[in-house]
Amino acid sequence: MLSSVLFVGLLHLAACSSDEKPAEPVKPAEPAEPAGPPKLDKATLEAAAENVALVPSPAEMQKALDKAGIATGLSSMVSDRALKMDIENKDVIAVRTGVAMADALLTVKDAPPEKLTARLATVKAGMTALGGGADIAATIDDINARVTNNSVSREDLVKELDEMHGAIIPEIKFEAGERAVPLIQAGSWLEGSNLVSAAIVAANNTTAGTELLRQPQVADYFLKYVEVEGAGKAPDEVLKQLHGTLTKLKEIASKPTLSIDDVKEVKSQTDAVLALL
Amino acid sequence: MLTALFLAAFSSAALADEAAAETCLKTKIWEGYNSGWAVRTATNATLGQGEHRIYLVTLYAGTEYKLMVCGDDAVVNADIVLYDSLGNEVAKDSSKDREPTVTYRAASTDTFYIAVHATQTKDAATKGGIATAVTYK
Repeated sequence: MLSSVLFVGLLHLAACSSDEKPAEPVKPAEPAEPAGPPKLDKATLEAAAENVALVPSPAEMQKALDKAGIATGLSSMVSDRALKMDIENKDVIAVRTGVAMADALLTVKDAPPEKLTARLATVKAGMTALGGGADIAATIDDINARVTNNSVSREDLVKELDEMHGAIIPEIKFEAGERAVPLIQAGSWLEGSNLVSAAIVAANNTTAGTELLRQPQVADYFLKYVEVEGAGKAPDEVLKQLHGTLTKLKEIASKPTLSIDDVKEVKSQTDAVLALL
Repeated sequence: MLTALFLAAFSSAALADEAAAETCLKTKIWEGYNSGWAVRTATNATLGQGEHRIYLVTLYAGTEYKLMVCGDDAVVNADIVLYDSLGNEVAKDSSKDREPTVTYRAASTDTFYIAVHATQTKDAATKGGIATAVTYK
């Protein structure tokens, strides 16, 4: 009797234990997924903003001009100018290099090969004088060889020069110092702004100035470089004119709307700098 | 030749973990050319989880802009937020990946702020390489 009771009891215990699932190990808590990006206030944005993407490229200016309904091609307005790079002042060389780069970019689609290669040779001379390294010089030589041999399409060249202007040059560590890049950009922007203002005046378009030239932050960015980075350096006629021009452009571009007279003033001011180059 | 220079220029200033981000971005830039996009600028950064970079940018009225970001393998979720000059949010990506894009067409020519966030990395202590491009058409 006792053994039967014990046997049934043992069976019951065995049944109970087989029903129970083994305890699962306690999982560590999943790390909480970070919430989305926090909203940033204006003061934070202003304080942390970098200017690497601030300045429109000359090719972008051309596109914006097209979209504003001004059919004038900037390429036809680019003048043949001899920009000397064998001078002492590296700041002026940087500005000249930017102008030459803008001219090459704006005429790459339809310039005769000899003109395009001459403009690129000027860019190369500027890069060399600024201590841009052998790679950029070799790249320009390679492009010029392909232009001369007619072994590259102009559409592909547009991409290559666009990329050189927007992605390669800004990353180069010039021996001339950190202000070489912004001053190259300043040269390109001044040349582009000069041609855009000339096209607007020629078309007598009364509204395009507001859409295309109202960029006070860009003028201010370059102005800060000329004021701060150029401080203590020997005064130079080009840099003095550049300072005056940028000051005036910032004032004009800060208006809510630009009249045709404002656009004429932009052209006059940028003419004054470019004439000294 | 130019491709090599592009990578060399980036790499000389870049940290090792930014290489994948740069390669990814360059591929997108070149693919974009086939659809009419051109590049204004491309740049890179190394960010930890929760960190961000801010870029001031001038956008023309009427021009369409595409902002592109590529994160390297250490980045789980990168985000782009575009603010106007007054600090108002005007566009942002909604994806939870490391290759966000934002397209935007400004009503008037103005300056804007692009905020690029490393919202999530593989672990909180890991920094990731993030490459950013402003393209237009």
